[in-house]
Amino acid sequence: MSQGRQGVINYRCPNCLFRDIDFDLLYDKDLDQYYCRRCNWEGTEPEILYMIAIYKRRYKDMLKRYTVEDIIAKDE
Amino acid sequence: MDTFILNIIHRPELVPEYIDTSVQEGRTQEVSKQEVVSESINIFRLQQEIAHRNHLKTTIQMTYSSLFNDECIDLVKRHHEEFGDEIGHTFLGLNCKEFRDKFKSKELAIWLFPVDLKKAIVDDSFERFKEVFGFYPTSTGSYFMDAELIRYIKAKYPMVRAAVATCFEEGPKIFRHTNSSWYTLMDGSPWTAWIPSKQNTHAIADSEEDDIGIVALPHLSRDLLAVVDNAGDMFGTHPQNIIRGLIYEGDRLPYMYNIIDQYRVMKRYNKGYSYNLVYVGPGWMGKGGRWEANYRILKKSYEDFLAYYGRLKAENEVEDMTMTEFADWFRKNQPRSGPYCGLWKDVLWGTQNQAFWYVDSKFRVQVDLKQGGAITDLRPYASKLTRPVGAGTEANQDASYPFIIQSRYRAGAFTHYAGEGAIKSCKVRYGAEEIDLSACRTTGGYSEGKGCRILEIKPMDVEFRDLTVSLASSYTFMENSGEIIIRRKIVESTDPKAEVEIDEYLTSCWGTTEYPEDLTGSMLYVTGNDGKREELRYEYRCRDQHMDDVQCVEAVIPQVQTKISLIPAQKGCHGYFEEGYSFAPNLKIGVSHAVAMNQEFEICLKVDKA
Repeated sequence: MSQGRQGVINYRCPNCLFRDIDFDLLYDKDLDQYYCRRCNWEGTEPEILYMIAIYKRRYKDMLKRYTVEDIIAKDE
Repeated sequence: MDTFILNIIHRPELVPEYIDTSVQEGRTQEVSKQEVVSESINIFRLQQEIAHRNHLKTTIQMTYSSLFNDECIDLVKRHHEEFGDEIGHTFLGLNCKEFRDKFKSKELAIWLFPVDLKKAIVDDSFERFKEVFGFYPTSTGSYFMDAELIRYIKAKYPMVRAAVATCFEEGPKIFRHTNSSWYTLMDGSPWTAWIPSKQNTHAIADSEEDDIGIVALPHLSRDLLAVVDNAGDMFGTHPQNIIRGLIYEGDRLPYMYNIIDQYRVMKRYNKGYSYNLVYVGPGWMGKGGRWEANYRILKKSYEDFLAYYGRLKAENEVEDMTMTEFADWFRKNQPRSGPYCGLWKDVLWGTQNQAFWYVDSKFRVQVDLKQGGAITDLRPYASKLTRPVGAGTEANQDASYPFIIQSRYRAGAFTHYAGEGAIKSCKVRYGAEEIDLSACRTTGGYSEGKGCRILEIKPMDVEFRDLTVSLASSYTFMENSGEIIIRRKIVESTDPKAEVEIDEYLTSCWGTTEYPEDLTGSMLYVTGNDGKREELRYEYRCRDQHMDDVQCVEAVIPQVQTKISLIPAQKGCHGYFEEGYSFAPNLKIGVSHAVAMNQEFEICLKVDKA
């Protein structure tokens, strides 16, 4: 098996992200596959993007703009 | 007062730590490789240009390596003259060939050096600064500046008036987030500017004699709700934080503005004053991208970020200052010992959750409104712990100020055994039923009184099988006294004649991390109004003591030189203490009283130096 290298995009392991650990993935060019040295996750770029999309769902207001007025108007 | 102040700090870190990682992994040949240095200077130049195009002044913190780089020195001199930027100093970015040749060390954190080397590095870098610019800096900083280091700098270079002195809530959560490799273990400081105690940087000075002589700034202004249970390095006034947290889609980062605007709201809780700090190095904005974001997104995020501050400045909504200008302003306009308050509302997770923070010279207190207003973090500044850090000290890397309550690290309301972890909460009993207020979500409101700050907690409905009562609560923080007056009142009841028992309790332990520390030798006391006093030395034997008509219950934790007291305002209250055991390594003190409709129960929670 070939040496793992940093990919063109330096993805973090999505499985480790879900437990709040930043750990860079390595890329195996022979298999076109990313893998984690810490945990047992391995997968393709679409799988990484899918898991990142799920990760972001925790932020229900991620794309919502709260102005000063909006914040003051929140329940006090 | 109606003032929102901004410090923007850029540092020409010529060999950023992130790039240094690449060096170690063999992706770059050597630390001083010219292309790394050139890219770093170009990023720094771009960051400066973005600030200036938005008519914002900066503080340029000169790193050790930049003091040996002529291109960089010429650039900052020009910016100082043309834009009024302050030329300051930093202990970040020590890693470079010149430093390693001189000090024979790869250590990158000033607070972690042995004390002799700390002093030698201060002398060497300050004298080099003077040699380059012809004057000594008036501001400096690092991720953390321990009190011993600041005292030395102040004694030798008294012109220093400001320092970036800590990263707010960078502690075990961030350590874990960084694969247990980033040794910024420094929980427990104020979240906004403060004047540190001579004994401990985290603690706010309580007098002129205790004043360390600088105004301390937190590295970044962070989301005061997010940091409660998340690594703060994803939630601060730095686009990289937000990108790291994946809180964006494409090039849209509205949360970045939400944090700024929430800090503008903080004026409501601080007599018209609020503060933001932006502190960025070049490492995150390289052409190679950072985290999953490419260069275009990184660059645009910083352009958008500073453009928003620029717009606020044009509208007179923010005042940009250099670090030293701000320190001088702070000395003239803010009390030495605080207090500072923050009632932070969720602007990210889509909830109504709020966190209230209070800090003065006696303690830092975090109140979780979604847990019924339970106190979930308490740092006893009253003890002004002398806790030197760095090589050769007992604490070494652990620069946090110890807690006596920390509900996330030490369990809080929920445990896998009977009873609670560390929390200050309240139980309401009726017949055989018991409900802990930490199970009741609520929100809070803020007001001020003479010498006090008040958190009004909206009434919570407590539902028993045959009775529902609505319980209103308030916390009155008596400024710089170590006292919180806690009041509970039944404001509605399905049976106005029914009495419920209110048990104000505090479960405490001490520590800086998730792991238990030794409580052996702690003392527990219960004292009656008749003068009778029972006491117990903590030995993990699960003993307890109860007494009717108590004057107070107390716990003394000698390891953190702290005494905690619960003092009821009424007579005829029941008091108790519980020792704990090794599988439940806490101590508990409590005071209870029966109340009916429209009756109030009041206690004072007091934190003293022991």
